[in-house]
Amino acid sequence: MAQPAFDRRRINGPEESHPPVFIDEEPSQTRSVKSRKGRASSDIRPIFLQPGLISQATGSAYIETERTKIACAVYGPRQSKGTGFHEIGRLNVEVKFAPYSCQDRRAPMRDAEDRSIAMAVHQAIVSSVRLETFPKATLDIFITVIETDGLEGCVAAGSIAASTALVHAGVEVFGLVVSCSAAAVGDEIWLDPTDEESKISGGTLVLSCIPALTSITSVWQTGRMSPKEILGCIDTCQSRCNDIHGVVAQALSSPNVPG
Amino acid sequence: MASSGSISISKAEKSFIQAGLISNPPSRADGRSLYDFRAISLETGFAPLANGSARLSIGRNPHDGSGGTEVLAASKLEVESVEPGGGGVDGGRIACTVTCSPAAYPHLSSSALDDLQYDITTVLHETLTHRSLHPKNLGILIGKKAWVLHLDIVVLVDSGNVYDAVFMAARAALWDTKVPRTRSVEYKAKKGVVGAGGAISSSIGKKKGAGSGEEGGGGDMDVAEEVVSGFDTRQIRNATDFELPDYWDEGEVLDGRDAWPVCVTLNVVPPTHFLDATLPEEAATSLRLLLMFAFDPSRHDSPNVQGMRTLGTGELEVSQLQELIKQGEKYARYIWTALNTKLKEESLGRLKDRTKF
Repeated sequence: MAQPAFDRRRINGPEESHPPVFIDEEPSQTRSVKSRKGRASSDIRPIFLQPGLISQATGSAYIETERTKIACAVYGPRQSKGTGFHEIGRLNVEVKFAPYSCQDRRAPMRDAEDRSIAMAVHQAIVSSVRLETFPKATLDIFITVIETDGLEGCVAAGSIAASTALVHAGVEVFGLVVSCSAAAVGDEIWLDPTDEESKISGGTLVLSCIPALTSITSVWQTGRMSPKEILGCIDTCQSRCNDIHGVVAQALSSPNVPG
Repeated sequence: MASSGSISISKAEKSFIQAGLISNPPSRADGRSLYDFRAISLETGFAPLANGSARLSIGRNPHDGSGGTEVLAASKLEVESVEPGGGGVDGGRIACTVTCSPAAYPHLSSSALDDLQYDITTVLHETLTHRSLHPKNLGILIGKKAWVLHLDIVVLVDSGNVYDAVFMAARAALWDTKVPRTRSVEYKAKKGVVGAGGAISSSIGKKKGAGSGEEGGGGDMDVAEEVVSGFDTRQIRNATDFELPDYWDEGEVLDGRDAWPVCVTLNVVPPTHFLDATLPEEAATSLRLLLMFAFDPSRHDSPNVQGMRTLGTGELEVSQLQELIKQGEKYARYIWTALNTKLKEESLGRLKDRTKF
């Protein structure tokens, strides 16, 4: 939750300030786009994934898909503090944005945290973790968004990073969770949309699944889509998830993973 | 983390409920079939100071008024500045807030309650404020003023199925919402008279640019004679302010009120699913699928999905998901039709009340 308290630890800027709008950055009025610029509709942005970047954490991962850059650290399982007895372990996800991660500055403390993304990531990975193997304990996952390009891509990349970090930490999981986003633009389905692309789309969908078990862990759809479009999106996302699964598996098994 | 308002029940009770649901024929504690809803009662316009309001309860006992999920929804319109720093956007905006009464969740700590209401707010806000649903009549003056519609929802009692209740109440309150009509006002200085306060006349034009009004005719004439340079490409907007011709309870209905979606929650207990779970049933269900549907009356065969969420720790196969979406569409259509009938009845009843005098 956002904290309304005044931040005494930092030098606060003026009460009101606005990011400047540059002429060449005026929001493009390309409402009706016929075809995608730069890549084919079923192409995703290339993924760079490296486990073990944060040496202090039990497990960690860093993911980069063009302009989306996310670092993720896993601590635990460690003793739950201040909560009652829990027969199964607790999974705690926190998402924090760096102040410089978005177009508009996200003030530290005030709006750095985003619970809705944390909720989506939690939903994506919770069913893969064998929580019953560590009663009374908590797994903390901290996700730091360094740069973002589209909310959907952020959720998808965050889920992949969290799952990779969990495996890197040696936590027992049923399978790797990978995630893929899609946007319905006109009659086409564009995978892994950027911020601009999802703004011109009619609706977006993020699918998280465990390809090893062919099961879906989370569907997160917003905007207007027909049931047929949704099923189409799910199918294309799922087949692309199989490819991403290969990327994650390769990153985890490569010999130069630290830790 | 995944804060659901669900209560905690014993393993034995959990497995008893699950066994009942998957047995043949299925049995539930209150004798309903899997796809039965409890009785829903709805009343619109309960809050006289709001621009639109609805009170909805699912499963209230008709005899003593006890039990049941109880939700209040009210919309309130405020004028907001669109200029930088005002926080507004051209064309207006909608802000949804869900508050869960601590009385409804005595078993939750205050921080868990905060998380829960934040989660429900997020789902509602992301669904209702999407571009595809935005009403057209929330703008007032381009670049200056716009309406902000605050949709506030209070969950008074939760006895299960709170998402469906919240979305139904939201649709009813937005259906009931009246947006006050506005007229833009412009001030024009008379030509040749410099800085004379008395020379400012006001001309009133209809908001949608329906020409100039009757007042201040002299001012209009002068403006018409002004020579406009062909090189002047700047668009000068003359309207500086607006006025409200309506009284507080009048206005036009919110644009696009047919399109607000309804939500149907499918509680998945493989291999089956059920609707309208009570609190113990919710606690015994590991996966819920929220489907927000809207049905365009002009196109009967193609419904719109306005949102979809999975909640809980369960998993699904693609084929299961396909089947659930298909079934969900059917249930949502029932809810949609029933709600629309009730809403039309309510607005007819209100019209009768008003014309009684």
